[in-house]
Order: sequence, then structure tokens, then C-alpha cells
Amino acid sequence: MAYSDKVIDHYNNPRNLGSLPKDDQSVGTGIVGAPECGDVMKLQIKVQNDVIVDAKFKTFGCGSAIASSSLATEWLKGRTVEDAYKIKNTDIVQELNLPPVKIHCSVLAEDAIKAALEDYRKKSDAAAPVESTVAKA
Amino acid sequence: MAIVKKELPLARSMCWHCQSDIGGEYFCQQCVKVQPLSKDIDYFTALGLPRKLNIDTGMLETKFYEMSRAFHPDFYEGKSDMERAVSLANSATLNQAYSTLKNPIERVEYLLRLEAGSAKEIPGKAPTELFETLLEIQEQLEELQTLKGQKGTGSEEIVGRLRAERGTLEAKRGALERRLAELFQLWDRLADRSSSDQGQKTEKEQVLKQMRDILSQRNYLNTMLANIAEALE
Repeated sequence: MAYSDKVIDHYNNPRNLGSLPKDDQSVGTGIVGAPECGDVMKLQIKVQNDVIVDAKFKTFGCGSAIASSSLATEWLKGRTVEDAYKIKNTDIVQELNLPPVKIHCSVLAEDAIKAALEDYRKKSDAAAPVESTVAKA
Repeated sequence: MAIVKKELPLARSMCWHCQSDIGGEYFCQQCVKVQPLSKDIDYFTALGLPRKLNIDTGMLETKFYEMSRAFHPDFYEGKSDMERAVSLANSATLNQAYSTLKNPIERVEYLLRLEAGSAKEIPGKAPTELFETLLEIQEQLEELQTLKGQKGTGSEEIVGRLRAERGTLEAKRGALERRLAELFQLWDRLADRSSSDQGQKTEKEQVLKQMRDILSQRNYLNTMLANIAEALE
């Protein structure tokens, strides 16, 4: 099966490959997997004032999975948390020209985005009361 | 051989030829014509086995041969188009049933599909720690790949680490397969109980879910082990 030029480009030059400190309060981490193909994707976001200032990924899987997560990090940077929720797997399919057999890779990327956003929200919700106490003191 | 395009009758209650009641038999008692297996028949039922996971493979084989002899297209040369079509369709179903049930992993995957009904697409869950381990190994594989391009580098160290990882993953897969065997036993005991109360239903669902999770984890391990094997070649 032939990959599209965009997939090959992301595969050869993955954007934002790497990790962010998982325990950092401003970092949200999503790790998801697709049991059918055994692919695993880790996507992280760093949020400041509700804006995603950095995004990193690590993917163990096929070219389409790597390209999907690489593209996802590009799209995430600069978005607000709320806007980030609007990224859909169909957008990724369209941008990368993914064939039907590879659509699940884009679904995995969307799942990873959602998981990272949820992780960040959980952290900031838990931290919120502490912050207000600090502010009072 | 001309193949009958006409749809095979769905119901197995009436003989397609003489319309007499066949009461679930494969051969009509009135006119002795071969009858099609029901379209909705599951592989366990097709081979006359209970829906259990520990199968006596000797018995499975005996059953399969016994039924193959009854339906084999060779024995229907010179019969009517309908009989030949039935024999062909039944044989195909039987072959599929046998090859699926022979292998324990395919057998449990098939059972999960049967039992899950509409929820069949819900994938099993694997723990996040497993994903993290796999991503770490993946990094080492990439590192090894980079080093292979250069000469006289310390790739032996990574190879050593990957061999150790492979041992750990194989042990993990072994443990999962032992747990799966225990769940097979548990499933069969539940299947033996005649009661169909809510408690038993929940218990069965629990076992199915655990089996699904194990199969999913096993898939990740298999993929990674294949990647390691390829890198160490």
C-alpha cells in the first residue's frame, strides 16, 4: 500500500517527537493503544493560561499512526483547551489522505488528544482549590 | 459442476424437498435428502459441542471427520443441483468451524464474538504501564537502528538490554496465557451450571471481559516481540 506524500513527510520528519515531564501540573498526558494492530501512542500537552503552548508525542506503530500523532501535535500547539477538543479524526484522515484501512490510526490520535486533555483537566481541577488557598494567604 | 444460485432455505424445520418435518436432523427421514445447516448456526453447535473452551481436540477431530463424511461433495456427484449445493455449503461451514475451534486463541476470540452480541467491537483494555514499557522498548529499538548504520559502536549493550526485555515480555505473555487457561476452566464451570439467574449472567460477563483484556494485552506483546525479533536478527 502506498502512503501519501504527507504521511511520508511526517514519518521522515516527525514534528514534536519526545516527552514532557509527566508530573508537571501544566502537562496533560494521554496514552492509548489499539489492540487490533498493537499500536501505542503517547501524546502530551503543556498548557499555560488555557492555551496549549507545547505538544509532544511518541508512537509505537505504523507510518500512519506516527503521521497522525505528529500532525495532531502540530494542530494542538496554539489552540485553547476548548478548541483542542474540536479536532476530529476525520480532519486527520482528510489532511493525510489516509486509506480506509488506516482510519483507525486517526481514531487513535483523536483518542490520545482527548485523553491528554482529560488528564490536564483532572490535574487542574485537583489543583484549583490549593491555588485559591495560596491566593488568600 | 453447476452451482445453484437460488438461496438455500433458512429454516431447518422443514425438508426443502418433500416438506416433511425434519426436526433438526441433517437428513430428511422421509426422502433421505441432505439438509442445509442453518445460516445462524454457531460453530460449536455445528460440530455438536457445548459452548465451552476446553475442548478435547481428539473428539473435535472425530466429530469433524464424521460430519465431513456425511456432507463431502464427492459423495454428491450425480445428485441434484440442490443436493450438491447443500453439500458444498455445509462442508465449507464445517471446515471453517473446525479450523476456528481447533486453535484455543481463535476459539476464545470466536466465543467472545458470539457472546458479546452488539458489544463485539468494544476492545479490551490494557494497563497504561504496559504502554509505557512498550514505548521505552521502542526507543531502544530506534536507538539500535541508528547505531546499526554506524561502525564500531556500543550496540552490544542495547542488544543485551533488548534480549532481557524480550525475556520479560515472554514471561509476561506466559503468565497471561496461564491466566487465560484458568478463565477457560471458570467459563466451562459456569456453562455447566443450569441456572440462568442474574448473578450467573454477571459472572459470565466478568469472565468474558477478563478474557478480552488478556487477549488484547497479548496482542500488544506479540507485536512488540515480533519487532524485537526482527531487530535482533
